[in-house]
Amino acid sequence: MRQLPSWQMKLPLPSLLALRYLRSGRRDAYVSLLSLLATGGITLGVSALILVLSGLSGLQDFLRSDVLSRTPHLEIEVPEGVDSSTLCDAFKGIIGVVDAQRILRGRGWLLFSGGAISVQVVGFEGQLPRSFPVREDSFADSSGAESDVDAGAGLYLGDALARRWAVSIGDKVDLVSPRPTLTPFGPQPRAQALPLAGVFRTGRTEDNEQRVAVPLATARRLFGHHGSRIEIKTNSLDTALQVAESVAAVLPAGGRVRTWQELNRALFFALKLEKVLMFIAVFLIVPVAAMSLVTVLALLISSKRGEIGMLQAMGASAGEIRRAFLVLGGLLGTVGLVLGGTLGVGTAWMLDRYQLISPPGDVYFLSHIPFLIEGGDLAAIFLATIILIASSTLFAARRAAALGPVEALRN
Amino acid sequence: MSITIEARNVHKSYQDADRKVKVLQGINLATEAGELVAIVGPSGSGKSTLLHLLGALDTVDRGEIMIGGQALADLGRRQLAKFRNRTIGFVFQFHRLLPDFDALENVMMPGRIAGHDPVRVAQRARQLLLEVGLEERLDHFPSQLSGGERQRVAICRALLMEPPLLLADEPTGNLDPVAADQVFELLINLQQRHGTTAVLVTHNPALASRCGRILRLEKGVLYAESYGPNP
Ligand SMILES: Nc1ncnc2c1ncn2[C@@H]1O[C@H](COP(=O)(O)OP(=O)(O)OP(=O)(O)O)[C@@H](O)[C@H]1O
Ligand SMILES: [Mg+2]
Repeated sequence: MRQLPSWQMKLPLPSLLALRYLRSGRRDAYVSLLSLLATGGITLGVSALILVLSGLSGLQDFLRSDVLSRTPHLEIEVPEGVDSSTLCDAFKGIIGVVDAQRILRGRGWLLFSGGAISVQVVGFEGQLPRSFPVREDSFADSSGAESDVDAGAGLYLGDALARRWAVSIGDKVDLVSPRPTLTPFGPQPRAQALPLAGVFRTGRTEDNEQRVAVPLATARRLFGHHGSRIEIKTNSLDTALQVAESVAAVLPAGGRVRTWQELNRALFFALKLEKVLMFIAVFLIVPVAAMSLVTVLALLISSKRGEIGMLQAMGASAGEIRRAFLVLGGLLGTVGLVLGGTLGVGTAWMLDRYQLISPPGDVYFLSHIPFLIEGGDLAAIFLATIILIASSTLFAARRAAALGPVEALRN
Repeated sequence: MSITIEARNVHKSYQDADRKVKVLQGINLATEAGELVAIVGPSGSGKSTLLHLLGALDTVDRGEIMIGGQALADLGRRQLAKFRNRTIGFVFQFHRLLPDFDALENVMMPGRIAGHDPVRVAQRARQLLLEVGLEERLDHFPSQLSGGERQRVAICRALLMEPPLLLADEPTGNLDPVAADQVFELLINLQQRHGTTAVLVTHNPALASRCGRILRLEKGVLYAESYGPNP
């Protein structure tokens, strides 16, 4: 004769009922199939979401840092008639500012042995600006000789264009400005032949192919003083945002300060949007799984109708009946959520650790897709799934409790 | 432990698709504490309906029911659930055992619902099952028991909380005559020993005649049919 009741009999009534119903459901092929579908669907949805979002985060993170490495921390538009070099010195005095560089922007044409292309010209002072990362391997392989062009007098081209036109270091390229010079023979375009001083890495965008850099003095001669700017480098991206105000305070009226955030607003917005849309698209698996969860519960409730009535006759409250099915649905859902979470995080970690996925071609300078698991993403995935599981379970469980004892007993 | 039942002018009707079925039309009933009352009547006369009302499973349209001086109409949903748990033991025609629990666990169920200590409840359940001769069947599931055994387990379950009122709706209706007799004997025996007030619905005149009082439900009203051997 058995001495002690099973440990389950010590559980609160709802958990006790849920556990036993789960066991009896296993004997019913239909209920088991549906529970498998519900739990498996949630597992699939959650793991797919984690995988997709962490892959996207990895790529976006790479893209963002790549873009930011070429973006000035602060870009200042200098008002007409203000001496940019005094202003530049004033900026250098602000705490947090590491460097300030005068820049001039203009548009022109580049001519080389019959080829012509419209380009954006950036005049710079001193070092090539941040937005023109110089290639380490420069052009040594094709020209065979190191540049002997004075860095302060030459022109810098993107590597793709330089390769396409087969320009070598020291070759003369014509830069033409649309601002005419008035001569006795009528207006003539201003042009200057400049030796190629170096190439910079164009990387990803077509846009970079149409940019050239020339010394500030040359740019002034070709384009005048219009479009004068100052690029400021600070300690860090965060510092830049704090410093922006002090910079604006020094700037005379008519000028404008733009931070790296503002300069890349459209890109950052697009990245965020991409992520949100991806989330919604992949998340759609979860509601389907939640619907099978409702079906499982509805099926169990209708097959347990008489028992529900008897339980109520024995004094179980409607709340206890409801909670029993809540626990049941919660168990199935939680198993799916935990499995999906483990599977998703594990797979993403493996793919990242062992660099298993490579992007096609050389669209990005990436050997493999990095996976970045972000806490915020995980929280959003878990929260959305939990809300869905809870609401569908609640929906089904309420119907079990709504059944009065007499209706439940009458069958 | 026993309790009195008092029903005054109880009406109950059901709304079908298009017509109203008047089932109970002025039921009056008063029992002594510890009395055993049988209710007989044709099928569809409303015996089960009346039992559901007395057991606080359903509410009256009109009239009043008092169990042990407590008016059921005064109790809220939660209080009614608690009242059923403590005060009333039900036995139905179909055993209504929970198929996912074994015999012992089924008998323990009202105690678990009440929130009592599982070990003590198990002791009491085992004791009851022993009294009905099922000590070998404690860990059998309902599907592994015979009809008579299931009904005996159901009786044990109804008595676990030592309720002062036992309501039985054709408790032997599904059994062969021999098993029916055994179960009925057991029921009366336990009822007498515990001094429980009991209302019993049955179609079997022989069994009804062994109750203290027989009432006939017909056309929505209760009539006194006869007094049995032990008033
Ligand atoms: N929920 C309901 N909706 C409509 N009609 C109902 C409902 N419940 C009971 N009835 C009707 O009430 C009448 C009485 O039913 P009840 O089950 O109380 O009869 P009974 O005397 O127990 O019959 P039996 O001896 O066959 O068990 C029947 O005509 C039945 O159709
Ligand atoms: Mg009936």
